[in-house]
Amino acid sequence: MELIKNFGLDPFLLGAQVVNFLIILYLLKRFLYKPILDLLKNRETVIKDGLQKAQEAVLLLEKTKEEEKRIIKNAQAEAKKLLENAKIHSLSLTAKLEESSKKQAERILLQAKAQIEQETRSAEERLMSNVSRVAMQFLQKSVSQLFDKKDQEEVMKKAIEQLKKTPN
Amino acid sequence: MVSFASEKVFSLGSIPITNTVLNTFVVDVALIAGALFLTKRLNQIPSLMQNAIEALIETFYNLTQTVAPNRAAKIFPYLATFFLFILISNWSGLIPGVGSIGFFHNGQLIPILRSTTSDLNTTLGLALVSAVATHLLSLRIIGIKEYFGRYFSLNPVNLYVGLLEIISEITKVISLSFRLFGNIFAGEVVLITISGIFAFIFPVPFLLLEFIVGFVQALVFAMLTMAFMAILSTPHHQTAKEVNHKEYES
Repeated sequence: MELIKNFGLDPFLLGAQVVNFLIILYLLKRFLYKPILDLLKNRETVIKDGLQKAQEAVLLLEKTKEEEKRIIKNAQAEAKKLLENAKIHSLSLTAKLEESSKKQAERILLQAKAQIEQETRSAEERLMSNVSRVAMQFLQKSVSQLFDKKDQEEVMKKAIEQLKKTPN
Repeated sequence: MVSFASEKVFSLGSIPITNTVLNTFVVDVALIAGALFLTKRLNQIPSLMQNAIEALIETFYNLTQTVAPNRAAKIFPYLATFFLFILISNWSGLIPGVGSIGFFHNGQLIPILRSTTSDLNTTLGLALVSAVATHLLSLRIIGIKEYFGRYFSLNPVNLYVGLLEIISEITKVISLSFRLFGNIFAGEVVLITISGIFAFIFPVPFLLLEFIVGFVQALVFAMLTMAFMAILSTPHHQTAKEVNHKEYES
């Protein structure tokens, strides 16, 4: 008992210290550990989410880049195809145009030929008629001196028939 | 001459208010005010102070989880509170004026404040809380049968081991309380003696030493409590399994 007294052990103070510590334990648990542990947990979740989102973003970026490459490749292929089609189309169009212009030229040539032929024919006809007229005049003048009236008519008639029979 | 017992400063009726009790109030106020101040300013992006407290709490929590993975949430508050309370109590004794400012009674200086942990009432109270909490936790986690099976058995060898266990539980309380009390009280005596011989410069290394002793003793008390809680809340067969598993791993 003397030893306990020397150390100053007092049941009341001992009890007070125990109660005091339990109160501190409760208060710190409620106002310090819980908020900080919750915050740490929350931060961990936020960081995890952030990292996951960043990873997803990287994957999405890679995917988008691949998609972009694919689209560009497709567009290039399509453009090439379009260019080839346009080339083929232009070539066929040129060929068609060439053919049509050729045909038109031929038609114009034929028309010109026909016109020239017609004009030649009409010129020949005119020449023929002039030649016939001159020939008739010449014949008339020549015949009037050589034959009588009846023979003149006969010769003239035969000459006209002969002229008519003569091909152009 | 420093007395083992804390000195009475005044009384509230029949209740004696000693200098260690007054210091306990100061420590309490410091802890609660610090906790409230810090938690009111909690931010996702921590300040230097918040970072330090977060690091301390996280380290203790992770340590508890390593020792007792499934019981960390239950053991951690005791570990952290023992550490913080004892640390602040120990260090409070190093503040200039604590232990030296007071009044004279019967020709002897009665300091108004004295380190809380230099009073056996405090250290014994803490050790009792540690022991009772450890046993309650053990009862809650492993169950009444397993708990009493640790101390009582029909097997004479196990019964003898159980008896030793009961004695060890009592000695745990004594060792915990006297270790802390002895270290802090001795430190206080050393500081008073050195300061009495050389008032300036010479006590500084001893103050630094006491600063470290205060930290180490707080850590030792908290760690031992955690270890006792982890051991007593683990069933016997599980401990055996864990040991076998570790041996196999090694």
